[in-house]
Amino acid sequence: MSTSEKKIVIALAGNPNCGKTTLFNSLTGGTEYVGNWPGVTVEKKDGPFKKHDGVVIQDLPGIYSLSPYSKEEVVARNYLVEQSPDVILNIVDGTNLERNLYLTTQLMELGLPMVVAVNMADVLKKAGDVVDVKKLSQELHCPVVEISALKEEGSLAAAELALELAKSGKTGELPHVYKGSVEHAVAHIEESIEDKVPAHHLRWFAIKLFERDSVAQKRLSLPGDVMAHIEQHVADCEKELDDDAESIITNQRYAYIATVVGMAVKKKARKGNLTTSDKIDRVVTNRWLALPIFAAIIWIMYYVSVTTVGTWLTDWANDGLFGDGWFLAWTSGEKGGREAWDEASGAFAEAKARIAAFQEAYSEAAGAPAEAAEAEKGEDAPAFVVADEALAATITRTFRLEDEESGEVTNYPEALQDLMSEKGVDSFSREELLAFVAENGEAAGVKLAEGKDGPALETIPGESKEAESFPLAGFVADYGSYQEALEVEEPEPSDYGVWVPGIPVLAEKAFAAMGIPEDGIAHGIVFDAIIGGVGTVLGFVPQILIVFLFLAFLEDCGYMARIAFIMDRIFRRFGLSGKSFIPIMVGMGCGVPAIMATRTIEQERDRRMTIMLTTYLPCGAKAAIIAMFVPAFFGGSAWAATAMYFLGIAVIVFGGIALKKTRPFLGDPAPFVMELPAYHWPSLRGVLIHTWERTKAYMVKAGTLIFAASVVLWFLMSFNWRLSMVGLEESILHDIGVCFAWIFAPLGFGRWEGAVASVTALIAKEQATATLAMLAEPVAAVGGTLAHVRALFGEFSPAYPVLAALSFMIMNLFDPPCIVAIMTTFREIGGARWGWFAVLFQILVGYCLALVTYQLGKWVVYGASFGAGTAAAIVVVVLALFFIVRPAPKGAAK
Amino acid sequence: MQPLVFGKPGEKVRVLKITGTDKVRLHLAELGFVVDAVVTVVSEDRGNMIVEVKDTRIALGRDLALRIMI
Repeated sequence: MSTSEKKIVIALAGNPNCGKTTLFNSLTGGTEYVGNWPGVTVEKKDGPFKKHDGVVIQDLPGIYSLSPYSKEEVVARNYLVEQSPDVILNIVDGTNLERNLYLTTQLMELGLPMVVAVNMADVLKKAGDVVDVKKLSQELHCPVVEISALKEEGSLAAAELALELAKSGKTGELPHVYKGSVEHAVAHIEESIEDKVPAHHLRWFAIKLFERDSVAQKRLSLPGDVMAHIEQHVADCEKELDDDAESIITNQRYAYIATVVGMAVKKKARKGNLTTSDKIDRVVTNRWLALPIFAAIIWIMYYVSVTTVGTWLTDWANDGLFGDGWFLAWTSGEKGGREAWDEASGAFAEAKARIAAFQEAYSEAAGAPAEAAEAEKGEDAPAFVVADEALAATITRTFRLEDEESGEVTNYPEALQDLMSEKGVDSFSREELLAFVAENGEAAGVKLAEGKDGPALETIPGESKEAESFPLAGFVADYGSYQEALEVEEPEPSDYGVWVPGIPVLAEKAFAAMGIPEDGIAHGIVFDAIIGGVGTVLGFVPQILIVFLFLAFLEDCGYMARIAFIMDRIFRRFGLSGKSFIPIMVGMGCGVPAIMATRTIEQERDRRMTIMLTTYLPCGAKAAIIAMFVPAFFGGSAWAATAMYFLGIAVIVFGGIALKKTRPFLGDPAPFVMELPAYHWPSLRGVLIHTWERTKAYMVKAGTLIFAASVVLWFLMSFNWRLSMVGLEESILHDIGVCFAWIFAPLGFGRWEGAVASVTALIAKEQATATLAMLAEPVAAVGGTLAHVRALFGEFSPAYPVLAALSFMIMNLFDPPCIVAIMTTFREIGGARWGWFAVLFQILVGYCLALVTYQLGKWVVYGASFGAGTAAAIVVVVLALFFIVRPAPKGAAK
Repeated sequence: MQPLVFGKPGEKVRVLKITGTDKVRLHLAELGFVVDAVVTVVSEDRGNMIVEVKDTRIALGRDLALRIMI
């Protein structure tokens, strides 16, 4: 900013949801957030006027009047009164002039140059209403123009008119709002304070003193005799009109507005009373339907984003873009097509599993790992040399073929697997298998049979099940089938369709071409930190994009304000107002704007409580954790994903009940009153811009914060304290993680990897997925990231990996969201003590929920023995119940 | 005179009085609830109401609807 020349400031002021931010965006070319609910803008925002240099446009939070009621209104009032902008551009909603002009009458009293822009001209025209701007201008004594901010009609002209006015500094004559004795009294007050206030604010302060506004009284600190003189005038007026001073002013303002509107607005007669908006409200706010409709909307949102469309896209991103590659199209013909590819890649996977099983069995039998084989030129070598052919011929071993996605074993009868895990058997030789089936088969429902291609296991048909046949060759490897398996070639994807290689494949090729060594630092950073860490986070972009898309639609169409109304009745029971629900909904996108959005809540203690609770509904970044764990451990069930959201709501509800009974939060929430905007179809462009803005923020975070954290993490996991490159188990990270691991032991993931993932998740939630992907990669040799993570949790808790995963997910969904949200909490909650209280509360909740999940899950569901952990979990449950059900302490501050 | 909560959906009523003296009352006035204002009840659910006043839909909690006398 140049200091030599003072910039001209145009302030946009108006009622909530009247289109200020839309106008702001079109004047500045900005993309500030616009939504169809009151209270979207909670902070003053500046932007340069795109058509004129040296002019600043300021977007103020929407206000109903200059008497501050909620925190955002205080922001707007202080600004307008204390730092007078050069000109006010007052936007009024043309469909609702009477209420909007109320603020206009107050703004005029500030004595600043002002232009009134009647917005929603398009809607007016459609409804057949006519606003006579000339007449309006005459009555209000200031320029009035008609605009349509959404369609960008007249917006520029209005701003340029305001600019001209600012340059001339011309203020309009005050309109005659007050009648008879009121005007008389106000004139007297003006006279007595003339020399104490800036000339242009004279009327404003006079009215405020008439209303006995304490802020204005304090500000002027008038001598006692002047105050008494003023009080005499006010009291006389009150007596004459038989009303209190504030109401007198309000009523006269409305009376004045009514005459102005009567002269300037011609409304077309409406057919019937109900508009479409009202009809929709009859249904969605209906006593019985409101909650089911809301639940259904949330379910659909997560069904689409986590399971169906989201999963297809995320699979593509993880396995295609950041994996081996993907098919753009399938070729037809004998060798082409999807089926042929599935068959060929399935056969190759089976061959790999067969080779691995046989080699392991051979090494065991030979008593030492066999010597690695040399590759013949141009061929992949078999991993080892079979030195003793006679020994090899005696070896057989079962092997499992796991589905990469679901982790399900596909080549074994299920009944046999259950029986094996019951008996603690991992794999068999052929003889052992036959003996095992002969002995136990009957009970488990499997028997030996003669299949089409030799011996097979057959399941015994039950009431609802038909007999199935599993050929032994499908899961027993021997020397002969091993040799055959070695011959199976990896199918070349490009033979089956148009194959686009993934980023890792391309990077690998580029590195090989440049001759960069595979065990070097550059290779490690690119593959482990960037592709492994950042790539994993970016892989969830499609799912998060869909969540954001739904959210943008819900916000823009006008449903948001209705949700607040619907939830008010429920929230009031545990001491919060329905207004607290808007931040919570916003929090599904990101916790930071959610914490900011609490500013619309009038009461300080309600605001604090909402800040503490609002981030419990999983945000976009937490959705990435859900998107990793639900497919990896819960078969990608939409119910499991939705359950996390309902658990979030439950934590908010019960957390609210418990907090409300503590001393700082005692007392009823402020009564609920909120304007409901008319429903409208959101513009495609608007929805896409919102979605893109949020998704962009997520991606930028991946490129900056997550990138830096992943590189640091990679260094820590690749080097030891002497800074030489070592394996994971000797790394710095391992040593650090071990220090924290004990904390998480009662939660079922008390290994250093789990500790590191949980702690790094406090930087940003999606870092948990990046860290896990990086740390799990060395654990399992085969499969994608999901299979790796599954293997890692198998190590954490061999007996209950799924429970440990659930516990990990819950811990990370319900502890403090991320560093930025924590900082925002500290700023918004009012004091560091409150900030610490909020953060510790959140850590405690996350930890306790995970503890209860793991310990009680183990005990109740899996029948593990009762231990210290179980006792601790029960104590936690009892304590939590106590805080929830205990009566509120007496002497509540009303 | 009766509180607004007894208004039936679709009914048009006139505000006779608003009780209470706190900030909330002023806020109600700013939203258009003043003496003689005409209010149309859009929907009502156990005292929580959606009403139309001065061409705007406003959602009101029961405790506020009880203060507006019609």
